[in-house]
Amino acid sequence: MQTFTDAIQFLGDNLQLIWDKTVEHLLLSGAAIGVAILIAIPVGVWLGHLHRGSFLAINVSNVGRALPSLAVISIGLGVLGVGFLNVMVALVILAAPVMLTNAYVAVEQVDKDAVQAARAMGMQPRQVLLNVELPLALPLMFAGIRTAAVYVVATATLAALAGGGGLGDIIVNQPTYGPEGVVAGSIAIAVLAFATEGAFALLQRAVTPRGLRKRGEQVLLEPTITPVTNP
Amino acid sequence: MNRATLRLLLLLALVASLALAACGDDDDDDGGGGSSGGQETEQASSDMPGEGKPPVTLGTKDFTEEFVLGELYKQALEAKGYTVNLKKNIGATEIIDKALTSGEIDGYPEYLGVSVAVVARKDIVPKSDEETYELAQTFYEDRGQMISEQTPFFDVDAIATTKEFADQNGLETVADLKKLDSFTVGARPEFRNRFQGLKGMRSEYGLTNAQFKQLALGIQYQALDNGDVDSANVFSTDAQLASGKYTVLEDPKGVFGYQHVAMVMNDDKLKELGGQDYFDVIDEVSALLTNDAMISMNKAVAIDKQDEAEVAKSFLEANGILQQ
Amino acid sequence: MTALLAQQGPVIPEFERGSDCVRENGQFCFDWFVDNFGDVFAPRLVEHIELTAIAVAIGFAISFAAALTAYAYGKLETPFAIFMAFLYTIPSLAFFQLMVPITGLTVTSAEIALVSYTLLILFRNIITGLREVPEDAREAARAMGLTQWQLLWRVELPLALPAIMAGIRIATVTIISLATVAAYIGVGGLGQPIFNAIQSGFKTQFVAAGLLAVLLALVVDGLLVLVQRGLAPWMRATRA
Repeated sequence: MQTFTDAIQFLGDNLQLIWDKTVEHLLLSGAAIGVAILIAIPVGVWLGHLHRGSFLAINVSNVGRALPSLAVISIGLGVLGVGFLNVMVALVILAAPVMLTNAYVAVEQVDKDAVQAARAMGMQPRQVLLNVELPLALPLMFAGIRTAAVYVVATATLAALAGGGGLGDIIVNQPTYGPEGVVAGSIAIAVLAFATEGAFALLQRAVTPRGLRKRGEQVLLEPTITPVTNP
Repeated sequence: MNRATLRLLLLLALVASLALAACGDDDDDDGGGGSSGGQETEQASSDMPGEGKPPVTLGTKDFTEEFVLGELYKQALEAKGYTVNLKKNIGATEIIDKALTSGEIDGYPEYLGVSVAVVARKDIVPKSDEETYELAQTFYEDRGQMISEQTPFFDVDAIATTKEFADQNGLETVADLKKLDSFTVGARPEFRNRFQGLKGMRSEYGLTNAQFKQLALGIQYQALDNGDVDSANVFSTDAQLASGKYTVLEDPKGVFGYQHVAMVMNDDKLKELGGQDYFDVIDEVSALLTNDAMISMNKAVAIDKQDEAEVAKSFLEANGILQQ
Repeated sequence: MTALLAQQGPVIPEFERGSDCVRENGQFCFDWFVDNFGDVFAPRLVEHIELTAIAVAIGFAISFAAALTAYAYGKLETPFAIFMAFLYTIPSLAFFQLMVPITGLTVTSAEIALVSYTLLILFRNIITGLREVPEDAREAARAMGLTQWQLLWRVELPLALPAIMAGIRIATVTIISLATVAAYIGVGGLGQPIFNAIQSGFKTQFVAAGLLAVLLALVVDGLLVLVQRGLAPWMRATRA
């Protein structure tokens, strides 16, 4: 318990350090999330729109979730070497699958009636996609992005082992910062993870079409775990 | 469901978890720090001073040279009848020293300059290796530990750059780094706060232009090669330095200290193990460890990827400590 | 005596040289990997499986007890969940380190952390699984005269099985991942060669250890999917 109060003290005394490390952490996470979105969402949406590749699209997230994060970072260290890029690539590999699957399912399962009605109104496939499927798919798609984002922020802690910086640097440096530093770093990461969760939740609500706001999707067999600060 | 049922189920679950926990802990055989008080029933023969003594737990820090040292001492002690439990890769000085004082381990090989600067936290620059030895010995004895004789070899922290970087900027000593506007130094986490580290570089050489980049220990050569850092903290007996790709900057002020190695043991455990008899075994090995010997062993493990236990065995056999 | 020896200098034997691939730190030295698999990787793989199995078993026992309790006394669910969520939030690198002063550099320290990480997942799945049992099934059972206990064991738990298995699967895979970090406090497992490789920069070791961990996770995940489907054939869920 003493360590916990010491940790709070540590946070107060080391604001600059915490700030710098948090910025590093967010840069790394943000880059990874951004790249993952750029790769996963278009692919997932496209496949969902075409109602194709369901086996792949659904199972890729199972595979992705099973990947041990340190192992992926390790392979990255062997292939790409040390530093920001390696860890970012590893984080993208860990984040993209969930995003892809959610995007796929979200678009694929858009109410068929709505799609048919749109077609009946004379919309081209692309218009159907942009004006009907995407808006209706947004909530579930965003849920995937949100899950992945929190996961990335949590896993970026391991970046410290690969020269990627971030708040993990404090946690692996017990020699310098003491156990209170380790606890302080953990608190910072937990706060960051919660904040990410919250931010994306707000974002999700903002982009959800008004008519859909009440609908929640509870997938029993693959529960979304929040909060998530562990790989 | 009703409460009786619930109670029964809870009981079952509790029993199950206890059973599993018990099974799990059977694997947990670390021969921890505490021994069951000395049971020397018979006088151990002078050939095998270890016979009849309680098991000893040694630890090592988290890098190649320490692994090799650990194996060398372990195998030598075992040849003399001791039972040794070696916990490799415990962590940096600060961590392993805590393991020592808490009794989790009985001893480990330590660099005496580090003993003075990091463990004893003296921000001074000893003038010689004898002075370092004496300071360390006094400190440890006051605290309840004893140290063996020191090895001939020494392994100091050093700052290295790629050869190109050193040539481009005319760098020969650590003091030359002051010429740069700013530079990055990549180092293991604990380096940042140490007098024999960034702190000393700043205070003794005035290197306020240094920017610290934290690297996990071992990655520094990759980081130098990739250009991720301008300079890096290395160890002077690292095998990679023999490649010619790197320039090691000299340390004229001796900030990084004198770093011969000695085995630090908890005093009460040492007595149980036979006191000087035990240290004689250690010293016999230590005397063999010259710079050349250490570097070639480091090289075999770090560059040729040989197993450190095998390397230690070959060395001890070649020098008559182990029978072939 | 020792002084004399030091003057002559020790005998430095010829150590075995590594192959060119190894000396140049090539991308993946297959020869080294094959030679060293038995010594370096196989024991770690076994340790890893042991670490995971113990954690999931103990975690399941605790979560099962907690879930049943919370199922009976609804008010307990939120406090349990909050506590378990709190444990889950602790970053693994921190949790393992912080256990060391308490339980030492032992497997116990690692297991306490790993068990803690299973709790939230298993607890949530078990209790949700029980809750989601269709009310019709319960009513039918009661109508048939089943006692509370029989209701639980013969109806509710079997119907909750898919959710419980899904929880076990997710928990197991999560622990396989976290057990790699456990090597930070020296308890072995596939994380050990990874940390050693961080030490030495040996690319082959990075790739080999990483791939083995990934393979282990995927194989175990696949096996558990099969078990999940086998246990509850009436629920061929498309999303499992």
